[in-house]
Amino acid sequence: MKLRPVSALPAAGSHLLTRRKSLTAFGAAAAAAALLLSGCGAGGTSSAANSNEITVWHYFSDPNQVKVMTDYAATFEKNNPGKKVNNVYVPYDQLDSKLIASAGAKSGPDVVVYNGSDASTLALANTLAPIDDKWSSFADKGQFPETVVHQVNGKTYGIQGYVNLLGLWYNQDILDSLGIQPPKTMAELEDAMAKATAAGHQGITLSGLPQSQGEWQAYPWLSSAGFNYSSPDAASLKKGLGTAQDWVNKGYLSKEAVTWDQTVPFQKFAAGDVAFAENGNWQVGTAKSSAKFKYGVVPLPVDNGKVYLGGEAEGIGAYAKNPDLAWTYLQQTYLDKAGQLTAMQDAGSLPSRKDAAADPSVTGNELLKPFADSITSHGATYPDQAVPAKNVANVQLAVGQAWSSALGGQSTPEDAAQALVGKLTPLLQK
Amino acid sequence: MTTGNPSMPTAVAKRPGGGGTTPSRNLRRWGRGKGRLLYVLPAAVFLAVLSFFPLIQLIRMSVSSVTAATLNGSWDFTGLANFNAGLQQGDLSRAFFNTVIFVIVVTVLGLVGGLAAAIALRHSGRISALLLGIMVFVWALPPVVNGSVWKFLLGDSGLINGLIQATGMADKPVPFLYDEHFALISVALVNSWAIIPFNALVFRAAVLGIPAETFEAAQLDGAGPWQEIRHVLLPAVRPTSLVLAVLTVVYAFRSFDFIYVMTYGGPGTSTNTLPFLGYLQAFVRFDYGLGSATAVLTVLMVLVLAFVYARSVRKEENE
Repeated sequence: MKLRPVSALPAAGSHLLTRRKSLTAFGAAAAAAALLLSGCGAGGTSSAANSNEITVWHYFSDPNQVKVMTDYAATFEKNNPGKKVNNVYVPYDQLDSKLIASAGAKSGPDVVVYNGSDASTLALANTLAPIDDKWSSFADKGQFPETVVHQVNGKTYGIQGYVNLLGLWYNQDILDSLGIQPPKTMAELEDAMAKATAAGHQGITLSGLPQSQGEWQAYPWLSSAGFNYSSPDAASLKKGLGTAQDWVNKGYLSKEAVTWDQTVPFQKFAAGDVAFAENGNWQVGTAKSSAKFKYGVVPLPVDNGKVYLGGEAEGIGAYAKNPDLAWTYLQQTYLDKAGQLTAMQDAGSLPSRKDAAADPSVTGNELLKPFADSITSHGATYPDQAVPAKNVANVQLAVGQAWSSALGGQSTPEDAAQALVGKLTPLLQK
Repeated sequence: MTTGNPSMPTAVAKRPGGGGTTPSRNLRRWGRGKGRLLYVLPAAVFLAVLSFFPLIQLIRMSVSSVTAATLNGSWDFTGLANFNAGLQQGDLSRAFFNTVIFVIVVTVLGLVGGLAAAIALRHSGRISALLLGIMVFVWALPPVVNGSVWKFLLGDSGLINGLIQATGMADKPVPFLYDEHFALISVALVNSWAIIPFNALVFRAAVLGIPAETFEAAQLDGAGPWQEIRHVLLPAVRPTSLVLAVLTVVYAFRSFDFIYVMTYGGPGTSTNTLPFLGYLQAFVRFDYGLGSATAVLTVLMVLVLAFVYARSVRKEENE
């Protein structure tokens, strides 16, 4: 090695310093880029590269519904030693957006538990994998009615392990004190609410949130007034919205309902000073744990109206790391008879399998029976078949906003109905 | 270890010769400049990736047909169709009107409240320190948590209505969040409440920068507290007010979280502001093109305000 003269050192040092600066700057840039990339990836990716783990995205925050998820994870892990389930909670309003965003990065969960009405949006956005091959070879396929199988453009993207629908919860203590029976018709309901209000109670709670939850809750009353999506007319809408606004004006229903999602009104009902609540079978667990009074359920008294048959569909992510393991998970939980009965016991979910629905633990359940009766008497496909797949979200938002504006007094029923028909007409064209 | 810049003596030694800059010196200077520029690189990368790129994508989206089905594919250019659709659907004008009211309320209350708090807390002490600590806590609270707490407080059975009824100010709950007129103002008030701590802290820094002699001189001239505020404090914080006014307007313009948590735009569409309308269009209706067009209009309005602000600052400096 040749030694350099001392006089050469400063220049070399300067060069080294500049180089060091450059390296430092480059390192900082690289670290920043790495941080950025890791930050971007953390929210979107879910599925670990581990082939023994599946990631399940869901939007349940209710303790009873969360228990279903943990029970399912325990069942799967017990049946498949060495395999693991990673349940990931994503807020309801953000699930679709996050799925679409992660699909853009060719990432996503193994299993998606999503609102059945969003099947078309999610399938068209390529966030779900078609499961026709798996579904067609599923031995118990015949146990499931067609209404719980979600197909878009002829391909299957999800199956519902249970059905959720709305019923009329009533406070038995209040009805007994007023000497009235649970209502079977709209006229009886309005009469009962009038008596309850006169006695110092509140008549009913429901959700008037200006979005899809509002539309889900509005549909039974609007359809009872003659509204349908096949031929929407302003007159029936005006009647339906007018009925709801009338309830507010008469004091049966609090105007505050426009700020409530479906959870809050049931909490209000469970507090004990409300005669009725329009709410779902998934509240059975909450009622048991919170209500300190006698209560019961009857089918929504909507006369000739309809009640949506909703519930979450379960599918496999388009970019699932372990699609086969995901299908095994679905078979052993949501699609399994024992699994469906677990969901019924934990959260009051109505099984979608015929054999599970016929189980004595379901048919003998006094709270679930009225819901089961509603399926045959008033059940309607959710979303309505008349709504084009690409416009489901648009229609739900428009109806939810009209429902909210009528309840909140922002619009007269006539104005809200006219404006809504104007919005729906182009959206419903196929 | 070599300290300082080892090449400096050489450069200094050449200066008396009157030779000016030499090519080797220019090269070294350029090299040093380049080295410094590299330090800016991380910030530049961050800015480019997190600001410029999304902004360009936003503009591209606003002139394209982008839905959930096409978001991750190719986007068809549609010109101004999204802007026209936004105008024709009728939601835009109402949202614009709501936004203007919202921005006025938040800006006025945010600035006045911030200045008042800064003046009240300008003297150091335990109570001031405690209140400042609480204000920093309020400012640091995530808007979703803040909004949820206020939604609870403003409900029919919440604390505020409880106090109003207990004191006999009203016999029925005030419909803070579900009356079409009250709701927008209520959310704007909560938004103002959330920005007051930040404004107060900035105003307080400006107030503390006023020399004590100025107050002493004012007191010697017989100025009372109110005259001190009017003739000493207010002129001194004027430049700060201009900066804060723009920051508060921009804050109010992009406000989304509180509306999302407290009213979801309701009742009906009473509290839909431009950012919330953009959210509904893009992330609820999954019409990303339409939502982007609304967002672009919002950005343009903020840019106009920024231009007005820049002009006023320049005018101020020239004076």
